[in-house]
Amino acid sequence: MIQLDLTRRLALVAALAVTAFPATAQEGEKPAESKEKSEESKDGEKKKEEVEHWFAIQNGDVYTGTGEVLRGATLLAKNGKIHSIGYDLYIPPDTKTVDAKGYRLYPGLVAISSQGLLGNSSGDFDDTIDPFNYRMVLGLATGITTTGAGSGAVKLKRFSVDGAVVNEKIFSSFSWSNSNPRGKGELHEKLVAAANFQREYREWQRKVKDDKTLVEPTKRGVDNTVLAVLQGEQTAKFVANDRDELLGIARLAQEFNFRPVIEGCQEGWTIADELGRAGVRAIVTPRDRRPKDERQALAGGASIENAAILHKAGVAIAITPATEGVDLGGLVGRDIMHLPLEPGFAVRGGLSERAALESITIVPARILGIAHRVGSLEVGKDCDVIITDGDVLHYKTFVQWAVVDGKVVYDKEKELFFAHIRPRPEAPAPKKVDAGETPPNPDAKPADAEKEGEKKEEGGDDAKKKGEGDEKKKDG
Amino acid sequence: MFVAALIAVALGSATPPRPGEPGGRGIAVLAAKAVGVGADGRGVVDHPVVLVRDGKIETIGPAREVSIPAGYEVVDQGRRWLAPGFIDLHCHVAGGPGGLGDINDAVYLTNPELRAKATVVPGNPLLKRAVAGGVTSVLYIPGSATNMGGQGILLKTGLAKYEAMVIRDPGSLKLAQAGNPERWAVGVGRSLMNWNTRDTFERGVAYARLRDAAERGGEPVPRDIHWDIFPPLVHKDVQISTHTQRYQVVLATLTMVRKELGLDVFIDHGEWYGSKLAGYARDLGVDAILGPRAIDPPSPILDTDGKILGIAASYQEGGHPNIGFNTDSPVIPQEELPLQAAVGVRYGFDDSRMDSIRGLTIVPATTVGIAHRVGSLAPGKDADILVTSGDPVDPRSSVEVVWIEGTRVYDAEADGRIW
Repeated sequence: MIQLDLTRRLALVAALAVTAFPATAQEGEKPAESKEKSEESKDGEKKKEEVEHWFAIQNGDVYTGTGEVLRGATLLAKNGKIHSIGYDLYIPPDTKTVDAKGYRLYPGLVAISSQGLLGNSSGDFDDTIDPFNYRMVLGLATGITTTGAGSGAVKLKRFSVDGAVVNEKIFSSFSWSNSNPRGKGELHEKLVAAANFQREYREWQRKVKDDKTLVEPTKRGVDNTVLAVLQGEQTAKFVANDRDELLGIARLAQEFNFRPVIEGCQEGWTIADELGRAGVRAIVTPRDRRPKDERQALAGGASIENAAILHKAGVAIAITPATEGVDLGGLVGRDIMHLPLEPGFAVRGGLSERAALESITIVPARILGIAHRVGSLEVGKDCDVIITDGDVLHYKTFVQWAVVDGKVVYDKEKELFFAHIRPRPEAPAPKKVDAGETPPNPDAKPADAEKEGEKKEEGGDDAKKKGEGDEKKKDG
Repeated sequence: MFVAALIAVALGSATPPRPGEPGGRGIAVLAAKAVGVGADGRGVVDHPVVLVRDGKIETIGPAREVSIPAGYEVVDQGRRWLAPGFIDLHCHVAGGPGGLGDINDAVYLTNPELRAKATVVPGNPLLKRAVAGGVTSVLYIPGSATNMGGQGILLKTGLAKYEAMVIRDPGSLKLAQAGNPERWAVGVGRSLMNWNTRDTFERGVAYARLRDAAERGGEPVPRDIHWDIFPPLVHKDVQISTHTQRYQVVLATLTMVRKELGLDVFIDHGEWYGSKLAGYARDLGVDAILGPRAIDPPSPILDTDGKILGIAASYQEGGHPNIGFNTDSPVIPQEELPLQAAVGVRYGFDDSRMDSIRGLTIVPATTVGIAHRVGSLAPGKDADILVTSGDPVDPRSSVEVVWIEGTRVYDAEADGRIW
């Protein structure tokens, strides 16, 4: 853990240092190869073995996830980290490239939670992740490159488990439920005890310098998990939906000074300001349904506007679908394979498109404590990128390539599942012709369109023209 | 207008009809775009004006070509879109939530005489959500616990009174060929189910023919309510809505009900590998209303070489021109009907000719023979109009206003957003 924390901090410092330079400042700048090489020679043989892996995605529209768009830009990665994003970059020889002309780049999506994408994994991820399982392919096809799993965060590295686990022991789960009032009292007592210990310990730390005889306060009776939360080492996670429960958690958070994550949060919109003030982070499913309590005069129940109202009040919103596993049973649009559809329902309720994208990228990354590595396309972060054929939040959009740590781990055309759906122009799939069926002729007019005379088949703008034409006929 | 108002007061009417409603003055709705326009619902009009009077659409056309008559209330929706109200042919929520909802009484294995209309509750919370999702017409049908669950009814979701809601009664005879009725009584297999279903049909059709003969002067035949649904079925005034999914089951629908008995039938709740019969269904004139499942996964049932197949796309590739979408609400919430079309498109359904919006509107309207009243924005049809923030199929687009027969039944801004 200590080691992990250290590397995390170092990476954070590095990320901050590099992002201090705007991406466009990298234009035409040659990567600092020579400098590093000279360092290598100084350090002797050991570093010579290290090979530099360069990877570039060229000509795509880069949606950084921080609000910026760089059209037709290049994203260059070195050894799995984003080296630069911009125009006219120097591409070192032997750089592996993907031409993304006409496509969009987004940060790999971060599922705040999922089931099955890592295989039948549990607990000790290093031993139980199955990087070959088909659901990982479907996860990458969805655009997910990192997922929360249990109390950890894991990358969908595919073919490999090295470095897949990016964070562990993130959450401590607590209950604050109206169905268990006694549990509320117990948690409050634990928090009081831990807070008292913290105060006494700090006081002892301050005074012990002058008076060495002072005894270190005992931890006896102090709940270690609760203490870890108060010391910021772990995040308190609640599952709660009632207004009253949510308010209770907000009060705790303010009294004991911690930032809780609340999953569900269905009635949050009714008390959004209180939750915002308490620094609550919420994991919501915009389509949740919960009827209003008809015996209450107050507004209540679930609302399609929940995410939008909470976001406006300053609550960080991560969005998760109704089902967090892969559902091939066919009831589509509700499972983890449709993660990018779910924020669309929050947009329906008034959330901005930007916040919607953030709800499945940077916000869950922050909640999982890995925002210094994933969740947006910024120099210094991991090169986890998805390349899509359109707006990632649009229902028609497919992920064409998914990149994790600077390596292409998913290519729609090379996998079984979706290659046949709107195949990429450069690699059209062979036309399927059923024996006994007439092959579809794209030039033929469908029978029900015959009455429209010589008008051409069309879509988009042409369809509009036709609509107008029809009306002209009728009016005339 | 003054005179009209005086008359309304004189007649003691509590509230005079609002503009657009029957008896009220006309309204002119302006917006950025209208989709689902014209008899076939393929039309799109930029900057449209829709004139509504007495609950009907009088005119729809581009603003520069339509002159707004004097006295019409102008309702400018700015950058929003207009679309015809959505139609779901597989609905179980008109009875509302809770135990007194839809019928699914497994009395006999075939119950052609039972009627879902006995359970309708106007304005129930699930119908309100349906309206907020843009669903204005439904075929409310009995459940699938038996092969014939009973008669469905075609309803307008958002009107306040039962008698105003009814579009057509009976709306359909609900047939469920397999998949659920196996659980009836001691458990039945497909052979017995098919035999019993065919037997019921043959008797019902025979009854209808005898009644017809009697009307033409033949021997009188006493009315038998058990077979009441069959004369309208034989006359093709009513269709058979069939919960039918797998290849063999869809084949039984096509061969038994359509080909042998000659009845008007459509595939409802169409799923799974039934799409292999798309061409045959098209040739027999059997429409395909699909959902709530939208994909066929790779499975041992049918080797797809690992492809995940879109069901609507498969029906389309099989050459079927009339594809619609259904929810089986509350299995999928009624308000999520447009998502069925969206995921259909996602998994390969070609919507370059507006077939996603058509599958939510004009296709189901035509399938059950009510396209003269609903299903597209065209003169003479009911003014069942949605105002949306954008592409009505996109889950990101919100429904802002809904008119049913010229009555404003939902206004998200004024009444609070339900969905």
